[in-house]
Amino acid sequence: MSFLLDGVALTHANGFTALAEITLQAERGERIALIGPSGAGKTSLISLLGTALAPTTGRATVLDTALDKLSPSQRKALRCRIGTVHQAPPIPGRQRVVTAVLAGRLGQWPAWKSLVSLIHPVDIPGARRALERVDLDDKLFARCDQLSGGQLQRVGIARAIYQQADLLLADEPVSALDPALALATINLLIDDAGQRGATLVASLHAVDLALSCFSRIVGVKAGGIHFDLPAGEVTTALLHELYASEGEELPVLAHEPRSIPGAAAQTAALAACC
Amino acid sequence: MLLKSTARDPAFRGRLNAAIIVLLVLWPLLQTAEVKPGALFDAGNLTVIGNFLAAFLPPETGSEFLGYLGKATLETLAIATAGLALAFLLAVPMGYLVSGAGREHPTLNPLSRSLLTILRGIPELVWALVLVRVFGLGPAAGVLALGLTYGGMLAKVYAEILESVDATPARALRQNGASRPLAMLYGLLPQASKELASYTVYRWECAIRASVVMGFVGAGGLGQLMDQAMKMLNGGEAATILFVFMLLVFAADGFSGWLRRALDTPPAHRSSPFGWRSGGFMLALLLSVSASFHMLDIGFGALFSLESATSISQFVASFFPPDLSAEWLAKVAKGIWETLAISIVGTLLAAVLGLLLALPKPRAPFTLLLNTLRSVPELVWATITVLAVGLGPFAGVLALALHTAGVLGRLYGEAFANTPPTAARALRQAGAPAVVVFLYGTLPGAAPQLVAYTLYRWEMNIRMAAILGFVGAGGLGQHLYFELSLFHYAQASTVIIAMLALSIAVDQVSAGLRRWMQ
Repeated sequence: MSFLLDGVALTHANGFTALAEITLQAERGERIALIGPSGAGKTSLISLLGTALAPTTGRATVLDTALDKLSPSQRKALRCRIGTVHQAPPIPGRQRVVTAVLAGRLGQWPAWKSLVSLIHPVDIPGARRALERVDLDDKLFARCDQLSGGQLQRVGIARAIYQQADLLLADEPVSALDPALALATINLLIDDAGQRGATLVASLHAVDLALSCFSRIVGVKAGGIHFDLPAGEVTTALLHELYASEGEELPVLAHEPRSIPGAAAQTAALAACC
Repeated sequence: MLLKSTARDPAFRGRLNAAIIVLLVLWPLLQTAEVKPGALFDAGNLTVIGNFLAAFLPPETGSEFLGYLGKATLETLAIATAGLALAFLLAVPMGYLVSGAGREHPTLNPLSRSLLTILRGIPELVWALVLVRVFGLGPAAGVLALGLTYGGMLAKVYAEILESVDATPARALRQNGASRPLAMLYGLLPQASKELASYTVYRWECAIRASVVMGFVGAGGLGQLMDQAMKMLNGGEAATILFVFMLLVFAADGFSGWLRRALDTPPAHRSSPFGWRSGGFMLALLLSVSASFHMLDIGFGALFSLESATSISQFVASFFPPDLSAEWLAKVAKGIWETLAISIVGTLLAAVLGLLLALPKPRAPFTLLLNTLRSVPELVWATITVLAVGLGPFAGVLALALHTAGVLGRLYGEAFANTPPTAARALRQAGAPAVVVFLYGTLPGAAPQLVAYTLYRWEMNIRMAAILGFVGAGGLGQHLYFELSLFHYAQASTVIIAMLALSIAVDQVSAGLRRWMQ
């Protein structure tokens, strides 16, 4: 089993209830998309799975490790097996691409190896292979502030790939990318998780992307789980219910389909790809 | 809105009141600081300083003296370098402990925080004065004093720099299992490295100035030579020492500027981020630090023997309990008041002087003058002003004013250069004379900046005024120097605590002011 949340609630220090009595479980290798209006609790759910936040009540088990009463070393060992892709890649601008990618294994390496790697990268072939996957191997020794936003996002994904995590979490990983790049990126994550049999949980803003690429869709609303269905069984009515607070239109990848020429073809291609 | 029929300026009354209050406050301050411009022209004083200054020419160039001078210069550099190396070793773990950077939950660290406050709240000169009594005359006391004070300062600033950069990279690494030190090295250091290195180099520059000053309390180097020259009123030697000292300060200034620019060069496109230049620099750094310790010949082994440990603990114990008798406290309170008066009057005088020197064109000769004023530390100025106006707080006021005028003049000049020129240009085209153009066009735009700079220097001058008394220029320092020379440690302890309290109070007030101004 990949993770199991049993009646988990999360209340912030200011009294705001981010998650209320959630029960959710996933097997190894599942691909789950979290969708829902902003402020519904998607980020809290992902932070909880990533052990960044601890549940206020309920039982949570991630990668066969119970989250309550974790010792610091147990928490560290667990965290090594969890990879995260962020909306804004958390990489310092003055760091070199090779170092940023190798940083994915800081938790697994002994400290001396991480220290040596600051002076001379210890696993250049490994970093190069991860960067090849995202088509950036020519930037291996470039500095991150020389890259474009999309390239930097791909460096962040290369780091997650290099980490070889058993549970891959992604919090709005593509909301800053243009539609074509967003699609390619999601495919890359799915592909990588599929190859290693890892579980992928991604929160997504674009409903069409979620439906076309992921096998299981979890709708989150007001801190609770609104529905949890295979992608094929999610109806338009359910989606409108989920996004009732955000108006008539559903959030999709190609935001202004009428103003972009060839957008229809793009959407069709998107459906075909996944 | 209707205007009042009377021709009175509604702001006038407030301004008049403010001016009266300022005068009322300033008057007792001037009294306490014993500002007597007449003392400058007193016949006796004029002869002393006149003879002394006349002896500046020709500067001493005897080969024996130059030999001493060369050795003292090297010693000063070595004290600064070794002291900063020690400070760095102290600052890295302390900064790591104190900083909230890379932590997942906020912590308070009251113990390490208060230790840092004590280390940097007591001026390095006081540490040196006290340590000289433990380790004897010589550079060991100076190196340790620098190490302690600058260690405290570096640790605080390192911690703050690491807290000020974007925290998300480190947080992300920790969530993927990295330990706190590694998350900081990979996630925070790349963002902060330039600022950290730049501040460390700046502190090294300060350490050179400080190590000269510490020579006056017997901690070796150029300062000790200067002290001897001053005591014997040997103007020729003093002139040569001052000249070498200015050269040293300018060279350090230039070197640190070059280093800061070098940090901006992006790394080459190859596997190792370090090339021959950074490798050579690291090697030179290690060599100069070890050469410094070697030259100073500090028996650190002896410091950590059981024998010295007992003598140190006995010495420290003799400072307790501090003398808290009402009589002595009153004297210390008077010393604090005198210190404040010196700092306020000295800073005001410096502001006026700095403003006058920041304006005239062409700039070149005035820039040189400002740099000269600024490169001589306050305490060295004080040894000269004491000759010019006699012992007492007025000498301290003049010393502060001379050094600070150099600093403020330069900062004011920069502020004027950065003020948008449109207002001044319009007035000039309307035919206004230069002074009016300045008062109506440039000054209003630059005023907030000038006030901020002046307040910031005042803050530093309060600390400085507390130690000017070591050479007889009034304030708390005079009490401390006096009591320590008489081995009255209980009384000295009270003065040190007062200095610490003053420093903490200044810190708190200025932090509060800054928050309020934001």
